[in-house]
Amino acid sequence: MALKRMLENWSRLRQRDYYKDAPYLWGLTIDLNKCIGCGACVAACYAENNVPVVGKEHCGRGHSMHWMRIERYWDEPDGKADIDQQDASDYPERGAHYIPMMCQQCNHAPCEPVCPVAATYHSPDGLNTQVYNRCIGSRYCGNNCPYKVRYFNFFNFWKDLPHPLEMQLNPDLTVRDKGIMEKCTFCVQRIRDAKDQANDEGHPEHVEDGSMQTACQQSCPTDAIVFGNLRDPKSQVSRLWEQHHVVLNRHEQDKSDDIRGYRVLEELNVEPCVMYLDRVRDVEV
Amino acid sequence: MEHQDTMKDVAWAKINADVLRSLEKPRRIFWIVLAVCALLVLSGVVAEIYQYREGMGVALMNRPHYWQLYISNFVFWIGMSHSGTLLSAILLLTKADWRKPIYRFAEAMTLFSILTAAIYPIIHLGRVWNLYWILPYPDARTIWPNFRSPLLWDAAAITAYATSSALFLYIGMIPDLAICRDNAKGWRKKLYTALSMGWMGRAREWMAFRKTYILMACFLVPLAVSVHSIVASDFAMSIMPDWHITSFPLYFVAGALYSGCAAIITLFVMLRHIFKFEAYMTTEILDKTAKLTFAIAMAWNYLNLSEYASIWYSNDMYEKEVLLAKFFGPYAVIVWTMLLCATVAPFAMVFKKVRHSMWSMFILSLVLQLGMWLERFQIVSPPLASNHEPWTWAVVWPGAVQLIITLASFGWFTMLFLIFCKIFPSVSMYEVKEMVFHRRKASSRARLEDLSAIKEEVARAEEGLQ
Amino acid sequence: MRRRKKHLLFGIFEDFDSARDVVSSLKVLDLKEMVVDNIELYSPIEHPEVEEILGDFHQPIQRFTLFGALSGAIGAFLLAAAAAQAMFTVQPQGGKPVIPLPPNIVIAYEGAILIGVLATIAAFFIYAGLPRRLHKHYDNKVSIDQIGIEVQVLPENMHLVRAVFDSHQATEIREVVQ
Repeated sequence: MALKRMLENWSRLRQRDYYKDAPYLWGLTIDLNKCIGCGACVAACYAENNVPVVGKEHCGRGHSMHWMRIERYWDEPDGKADIDQQDASDYPERGAHYIPMMCQQCNHAPCEPVCPVAATYHSPDGLNTQVYNRCIGSRYCGNNCPYKVRYFNFFNFWKDLPHPLEMQLNPDLTVRDKGIMEKCTFCVQRIRDAKDQANDEGHPEHVEDGSMQTACQQSCPTDAIVFGNLRDPKSQVSRLWEQHHVVLNRHEQDKSDDIRGYRVLEELNVEPCVMYLDRVRDVEV
Repeated sequence: MEHQDTMKDVAWAKINADVLRSLEKPRRIFWIVLAVCALLVLSGVVAEIYQYREGMGVALMNRPHYWQLYISNFVFWIGMSHSGTLLSAILLLTKADWRKPIYRFAEAMTLFSILTAAIYPIIHLGRVWNLYWILPYPDARTIWPNFRSPLLWDAAAITAYATSSALFLYIGMIPDLAICRDNAKGWRKKLYTALSMGWMGRAREWMAFRKTYILMACFLVPLAVSVHSIVASDFAMSIMPDWHITSFPLYFVAGALYSGCAAIITLFVMLRHIFKFEAYMTTEILDKTAKLTFAIAMAWNYLNLSEYASIWYSNDMYEKEVLLAKFFGPYAVIVWTMLLCATVAPFAMVFKKVRHSMWSMFILSLVLQLGMWLERFQIVSPPLASNHEPWTWAVVWPGAVQLIITLASFGWFTMLFLIFCKIFPSVSMYEVKEMVFHRRKASSRARLEDLSAIKEEVARAEEGLQ
Repeated sequence: MRRRKKHLLFGIFEDFDSARDVVSSLKVLDLKEMVVDNIELYSPIEHPEVEEILGDFHQPIQRFTLFGALSGAIGAFLLAAAAAQAMFTVQPQGGKPVIPLPPNIVIAYEGAILIGVLATIAAFFIYAGLPRRLHKHYDNKVSIDQIGIEVQVLPENMHLVRAVFDSHQATEIREVVQ
């Protein structure tokens, strides 16, 4: 009996292509051409996910907790930052690049196998899940993450929340105690809500595209962020992936003209579910 | 053999007396050192309580430096634990009798440094109070530890290693505990009686003892090698540039033997001086240990340099970045000091004068250990400082809490070792006796052969006369 | 039924060579008159030769070791495999094998060594007859540099053994009744 169940489990769970038969594989597309680096997504993420605001001092020590962050990179013409040049105008083009960076929900997540207590695992809808209650804080996952998007609660940050502010915490998810890892969940509480709603509406295996948005997507003024189900061929995110020839299970994407899609650090073969669209700049001007 | 073999003339009763004297009333310096160590441990406990209450942030680790001194100290102490048992077992299996006067304290060193090392993963955890979750116990929610994680392999390897090396030390000590029992009074009598389990030196006891001892040695050699290669997998199994290196297990094992041998020399000189063991811990043994250390140092150097070379020639951009940052970046001081201490300094052991002088070997062994400690730091920190994601690059030096706990671990180790030396014989009496017995027999056999040769010669001469 | 009292003769000798001679004379005596029962030798260090003169001890410790190592390896492997199997029903890890072999081999290796060592030590205590109380006639000199020989013998034959002990310059001879 037990043996039969075990064999069933094996055939059900041992699938090479992640969860081939699962109805969902959540994915994201970020168009860097549209991103203006305003940081609205960061603020929205803080508000939605009860991310602690650590303050200037802790931030300086590298204890900040922003699940979503805007990374800035600067061009260095002639090997020198534009900002230092003598003939710089008042509003020079300093060649800023913005990359919103959050958990890439890797399909071959390096953080998953190294956790000693299996606090992080892969959910059937393609999410790299972090179980806060199970985490013992060995921080191995944080080291093994090539994007460094896992954030550790170095202190009991929620205790610093001044009085009326605890009223604005999102009741749909927890606040995290000291000593555990946390990271972007693709707003899993909203995903859960959308799934429940789809269930109520009588189509349990299908969440209508656009019926839910992540907090960052919702707040992006330029609509640079698109979230959706990669398994649904009609969803906007699927169409974008297809349009830019980005395919899962391939770590060298098409780099021909007009095709801007890539995934960060693809060559590590971690299979991220987030596609970035490269910024097009007219360098000649 | 040119030099005189002093070991064959020692009376057995003197061996007992000499070693048992080391257990007697400690000198004042002993109490002073013990008090200093206890203070260090106490300060470490205070620091740990502070960190426990406030959170890991007080140790000044951050993102991306999720691991720092705690892990490099862990690797250092595990490494130090290697030489004792591994060398003792290898030398036992190869029947090298110079191991006999030094193996007991070397094994004790193994046990205490692994006890020190085992504390670090615990201190390092964000939620220490849930430590037991990494044990495979049946849980109502059918949640088990993740055996894929190298940290679990660590836990398994350290459990096996701590248990086996403690038992190896204990089993090897039973005949000596019986000697202590026969000469002790008061609470010591009770302790030794219980621990020696009624050992009387009967023939069947000796036969079973020898067999067991050799079988355990056969286990301990592969075990020790596996333990440090598993510690190396903590790094090698990750995808971090400059951690994900195939030669890491071998490199770690060589490094472990290296720092362990250096630690043996340090303790050798100290014990010889403090307990006046000049008759047993001879310069001959020091010389052999130094030669062994030199050989291991060269193996370690080879692996270290080949690691640099393979990164350089592979031209992988991430790894090369880390390598350049190691040599010219913010941690360059550490790396160059490490190379000076661990790569250049051992060449002093080429000279016989250095190998034969207690002082020079004492200082050299400390230098080597410093080098190996820095080596562990430069394994952990610089790759984190220049990881895959340039936006997160940051240089962080360990904070006061980490430094205090590091010092405390040295205090903890020394304290355990000092207490051990006053309760248990730090030189194996029965094995030194065996060594004396066999050497005496060998020399008398040689004399007999000489005698018979003379007789033959005389007989031949007589024949010639007739 | 009352246990028959054991009569022992315990002698102490200067060195191992004379002790060996004593044992061989006792063997000869035994062949002639069948008086000697159990010869026990007490020594401060190990003498591998005693097996030749006292006969085979039959201590199959290595079998315990083998059994322990094998059962440790299999047990640890099964534990890791069962844990992985149990985990999969609650925490699927997409695309990865249910029972991963390389980590399980590491765990099995450590299990083999741990259980192997423990089994060896159990065998040691069994075959060495430890732990036990000290014999009343146990002499501290044995733990320094002398060799003790204990012979179980019937009271009427005591004088024969005593003669052997005397002829080899025993420093001390004691009669013990247990």
